[in-house]
Amino acid sequence: MRIKDHPILNVPTEKNYVTFYFEDQPVCGTADDTIASALIANGFDVFGFTEHNHPRGFFCAIGKCSACLVEVDGVPNVRACITPIREGMRVKMQRGRGKPKW
Amino acid sequence: MVRHVKALIVGSGPAGLTGAIAIAESVGSGEEVVIIDEGIEPGGQLSKQTHKFFGHEGFYASTRGFEIGNLLVKKVKSLGVEIIQQSTVTGIYEDVITVYDRVNNIVHEYLADYLLIASGATERFLTFKNNTLPGVYGAGAVQTLMNQYRVLPGESFLIVGAGNIGLIVAYQLVQAGAQVKAIVEASSRVGGYAVHANKVKRLGIPILLRHTILEAIGKDKVQGAVVAGVDERFKPIPGTEKEFVVDAICLAVGLQPNVELVAQTGAKLVYIPELGGYVPLRDENMKTTVHNVFVAGDLSGIEEATTAMIEGYIAGYNIAQELTGKSFEDKIEKMKRELEEFRRGPFSKKVRDGLRKMGIVFPEGGYREEQQTDRGPVGKLRAIIECPEAIPCNPCETSCPTGAINVGGNINGIPQIDYSKCIGCGVCVMKCPGLAIFMIQEKEEYSLVGVPYELLPVPTNGTKVKLLNFEGKEIANGEVDHVVLNNKGKTHIVFLRVPKGYEDVVRSFRLPEKAEEFICRCEEITKEDIERVIDMGITDYEELRRVLRIGMGPCGGKTCRSLTLQIISEKTGRPISEIQLGAYRPPTMPTPFEAVVKSALSENDEVSENIQGGIENE
Repeated sequence: MRIKDHPILNVPTEKNYVTFYFEDQPVCGTADDTIASALIANGFDVFGFTEHNHPRGFFCAIGKCSACLVEVDGVPNVRACITPIREGMRVKMQRGRGKPKW
Repeated sequence: MVRHVKALIVGSGPAGLTGAIAIAESVGSGEEVVIIDEGIEPGGQLSKQTHKFFGHEGFYASTRGFEIGNLLVKKVKSLGVEIIQQSTVTGIYEDVITVYDRVNNIVHEYLADYLLIASGATERFLTFKNNTLPGVYGAGAVQTLMNQYRVLPGESFLIVGAGNIGLIVAYQLVQAGAQVKAIVEASSRVGGYAVHANKVKRLGIPILLRHTILEAIGKDKVQGAVVAGVDERFKPIPGTEKEFVVDAICLAVGLQPNVELVAQTGAKLVYIPELGGYVPLRDENMKTTVHNVFVAGDLSGIEEATTAMIEGYIAGYNIAQELTGKSFEDKIEKMKRELEEFRRGPFSKKVRDGLRKMGIVFPEGGYREEQQTDRGPVGKLRAIIECPEAIPCNPCETSCPTGAINVGGNINGIPQIDYSKCIGCGVCVMKCPGLAIFMIQEKEEYSLVGVPYELLPVPTNGTKVKLLNFEGKEIANGEVDHVVLNNKGKTHIVFLRVPKGYEDVVRSFRLPEKAEEFICRCEEITKEDIERVIDMGITDYEELRRVLRIGMGPCGGKTCRSLTLQIISEKTGRPISEIQLGAYRPPTMPTPFEAVVKSALSENDEVSENIQGGIENE
């Protein structure tokens, strides 16, 4: 859920929107979003599954805990919380430790 | 190609930024001083702090954390220091320092004459059932999302931990429009500042002491939490379990220093629980056991941002001294005196105890502890300071235009106010970072209470409100007398009219619940909307319909017409039978045009063919 109004912070009304894909579905974020913030803003709380099939989301949001690993354009182990979104980026849920590329 | 620099700083948080300023200013240029940081924007944890900082003006007291970050970054850049973001120092080897640049997906090699490691800390995790379920977040993570990205990861929260971070996050969540169901704290007392605890208590958020979380409920996402009381040994007491319906759980259970890089330099680590666990052994100049490696900030011991800034300066001046061979002892001494002053209070006991284990001794005490009992002359508009603990903070003293407030010398002292000098201007109320100063005035018929206010919406004069006490409990009805807006500092003062005798207990208010009573389901028009238009003088059903669109939705007024007539009758005192009923216009239900057209066609086969042909041709 995006914050619409805030007593202290400016909430920019003019936004540059960026479309990327999560699990092949188009998702709309803003130019300032990370993958994590854009997914959460669009109601996606589960970013992947562990080897033992437990759902995973973000936990620390500053690139430390590795809970939010996703696959970006075929590359696994990308930290969703500190990776800005790009137009057309293809983000997939990571299962376990990620599939090798070869 | 290996890049060789004079000073490499790891981390662009408060300690790294002030370290860079100290080096660049003293050396005379920021050339060959480089900051490497993992985040997307510089500022470290400052960027997500929306509250005003404690301390004194020299370290940006009463300025909000993210604004301090911006000021420091600007200064660093103006000195010519290069800040490299989205890059992680991945290894400190004997022959080279490796830095992974995420933007270009390449590893760069560095060498540096001096290293200042200010890599900060990581949030501690907690064990309970389902603790990895999405919806269980670190408190700092929630701050990052809401204050840096303007995204809320839930609507209703449970917070675990009543230290300063848990308390601050609770308050910030309410500012962002979320609901905080409770804060649970395993120990028997609030760990954070009383002024932070008071801010959340008077919003009505319960702080459950001697409670812990047992379980996160939910399959793919948090849907609730089970909490329970704990005994003296922190064991849950059976039978005390209760459930909270929340969609997010925020863990604020402490931080641990990020020591991996400093360990790789070969610097000695020591285990000191008071400082957060393993920390680098260092001297009072922030120098580790490796001659050219310095540390500052949370990495050197969990504390807070102001002392991190001071430590950054101390480390930076020492590095500059070694780089140039010149003496900056006067600057170093000044910063050491600042640290000494800041760390005298009761909240620094842990840090003092921890540093003593390293052989670094900080004195304690020397500040005023007694609270003022004089509440000033009755009838005069005046400030009331409710700042019960010794914390290092003095903006009330420095902002008062008449010099009426003093903290008694040491910055940790409890402030006192000289009522012969207080002119009731309210500047201290707007400046106090703890929102711990109020205004009161006893009048003939009622009393005025001015409360600091940093929420939305800002109420208008005359708004009827519920008056709340220190604990956020409703104690009386009142109304907003007037609001003193502070658009720059954003701490407004809302003056409330309270019943006489309530001036010492009313400390907050709640705006009337906007539970809407709908009359017209289709157009979502409320009873209040209709009454407002009637109050404007429009008492005719047809006129109301034109103004409000009531009865003009798909149902055609089937559900709302009689209710509206009743409201008109109540408001005007005219019996319903005397009120114009208004026209009943066809169709009585939404009818597809296709059906209408079909009926016309079936009467005239010739036309039918023409029309059908036309459609097909298109």
